[in-house]
Amino acid sequence: MCPEQTPIVSCRGLEKNYRQGTIDVPALQGVDLDIMPGDFATLAGPSGSGKTTLLNMIGGLDLPSAGSVVLDGETLENLNKSQLAQLRLDKIGFVFQAYNLIPVLSAVENIEFVLRLAGTPASERHQRAMESLHEVGLDGLENRRPSHLSGGQQQRVAVARALIGRPAIVLADEPTANLDSKTAQELIDLMAQLNVERGITFLMGTHDARVIARSRRHIEMTDGRITADEIRGS
Amino acid sequence: MMETFRILAPLAWRNLWRNPRRTVITLIVVSVGLYSILFFAALIEAWADASRDRALNVMTGSGQIHTQGYADDPTIGQVFPQAGGELLAYLEGPEISGWAPRVRVPAVVQSEYRTMPLTLIGVNPTGEKAISIVPDGIVEGAYLSGPDDPTIFLGQSMVDRLKTRLGKRVIILAQNSDGTLAEQSFEVGGIYDGFSEIEDMLGFAGLETVQTLLGAEGQLSEIAYRVTDEARLDQVGHDLGQIIPELDVQSWKDLSPMAAMAEESMGVAVFIWLWVMFILMAFGIINTQLMAVFERVHEFGLLQALGMRPRMILLIVTLESSILVGIGTLMGIAGAVATIQAMSGGLDISFLAEGAAMAGVGQVLYLKLDWGQLIELSIIVWLLSVAVTYWPARKASKFSPVEAMAHVS
Ligand SMILES: Nc1ncnc2c1ncn2[C@@H]1O[C@H](COP(=O)(O)OP(=O)(O)OP(=O)(O)O)[C@@H](O)[C@H]1O
Ligand SMILES: [Mg+2]
Repeated sequence: MCPEQTPIVSCRGLEKNYRQGTIDVPALQGVDLDIMPGDFATLAGPSGSGKTTLLNMIGGLDLPSAGSVVLDGETLENLNKSQLAQLRLDKIGFVFQAYNLIPVLSAVENIEFVLRLAGTPASERHQRAMESLHEVGLDGLENRRPSHLSGGQQQRVAVARALIGRPAIVLADEPTANLDSKTAQELIDLMAQLNVERGITFLMGTHDARVIARSRRHIEMTDGRITADEIRGS
Repeated sequence: MMETFRILAPLAWRNLWRNPRRTVITLIVVSVGLYSILFFAALIEAWADASRDRALNVMTGSGQIHTQGYADDPTIGQVFPQAGGELLAYLEGPEISGWAPRVRVPAVVQSEYRTMPLTLIGVNPTGEKAISIVPDGIVEGAYLSGPDDPTIFLGQSMVDRLKTRLGKRVIILAQNSDGTLAEQSFEVGGIYDGFSEIEDMLGFAGLETVQTLLGAEGQLSEIAYRVTDEARLDQVGHDLGQIIPELDVQSWKDLSPMAAMAEESMGVAVFIWLWVMFILMAFGIINTQLMAVFERVHEFGLLQALGMRPRMILLIVTLESSILVGIGTLMGIAGAVATIQAMSGGLDISFLAEGAAMAGVGQVLYLKLDWGQLIELSIIVWLLSVAVTYWPARKASKFSPVEAMAHVS
């Protein structure tokens, strides 16, 4: 982490309370975090420690109760729903635990869909989507619907889709949780490779020791606070 | 906008076939609902036409000419000279398909047994046959042979009540044009049946015979005419008013206000039925579309996470519904058109004979395709159906992405 570099994500004093009936459940209790360009970072911690909540705040999927998130120069709290959607489209790639894909679209259409939303010309779209499928090792499966892909293949399509819009950061929440160990390992290798070769910034919420083992920056959360932030090099 | 549509259309189309059962249910709801609206509209229009035609075909025609005072005092005092000159030329012209000169007066008919009131009408048989179906109602004897026919043509029920019969004689008493009582004996030359609305009241004799009896040679109390094109009814009335400003020209709408009212109330009935059916349809549509939305909560969250704006989600669900409802609408139209075509040869409603006769309708309804009305009703139903799907669509666009994605169905 070079001090003169501008962070891609910058969280300050981030708090989030969920109302459950009459009581407030504190999910985040003052999080300060900077994610730098090129980070391959994991976010770990016990269940309920606030990993998913933090990723959702950074991704603009939900708004914090207090504090601020600045993503690639944009202060999220200043944006309305429509502008947040545009920001996600332009700057963020998401990979979720499961059910990542639109069921009625084929693998290649799922990827192209993001480009369509972004208004990429048709001539470019298909070409780029096919290239990204190749990159994640899914040549020949482009016309399959998600229901005809294995869990690992679905996650690869999700990774390809997350990258296609050239985002500032890829946020992944438990990307390997539904995969068997070999498939999980392959997916981690793929993401690590994309990080090294193309300099893509990853922030991953995970319990998976193999993922944590591969990360170059490891962040620990407990009870809605960051309790450790360790840079390991590669 | 076009680009938005290109993104959404394939997605919308495929989503329709995700749950074929629900798609089929919606299609059935829309198509059957619209079908019943369209068919009902055609049926009721045929009914209105039939009852109007019946009313007009008996005696009224498309319109009639009288003196200005005839309506208040329908006697032999209110007569005008037989049609000639410009009027005759117009009546024989292209706008008029048939016309019948009449002299009609209140009279009394007497048999050996009984005396009864009667409206005596002197007619020209050729003219009557051109505009009236009464000559076709003959059950015994013969219709009048010409304006100078000396016999009388009476309704079956009148004949029964007079206890007379074909070939016997009856006496007619009526007020003469000079105020004295005219009297003449007529042989019953023909008997008609099937017109309960006039059978007890009207007796027909030759025009010249009646004119002579009343001392009103060359005089008429009425000309009934039928227009070639119903759409030009008002124009013809206007033309005649110009030619004979001293006389009173009335269309059937004035002469037979019940028939005119029936026509209007039929239109109201169609709209009431449309709304009743539509409300039923709306329940079905909202129900199935809401189910469709709730099955896809997770997906709507995903779409938002990928960067789709809430407005676009609203659009996609509305688009899906419009396509679905659109297909249902086309199916309903196709069904209705096929049924109406199949029945255009005439729908026999004689099983309803008694009710139908009461309403003054013939026993066969002729359904016809009214494309204008069909398209208008279909568009109304389609638009209303799309409008009710706004609610489920709005629901879909309001899910927060986080909550929606937590929802795994
Ligand atoms: N929508 C919600 N409503 C109420 N409470 C919530 C909601 N989402 C999360 N929480 C609470 O916020 C806290 C943090 O949850 P979060 O999902 O961020 O944890 P996590 O670290 O991702 O856990 P896990 O490892 O199980 O995924 C928990 O106590 C959780 O119960
Ligand atoms: Mg979590």
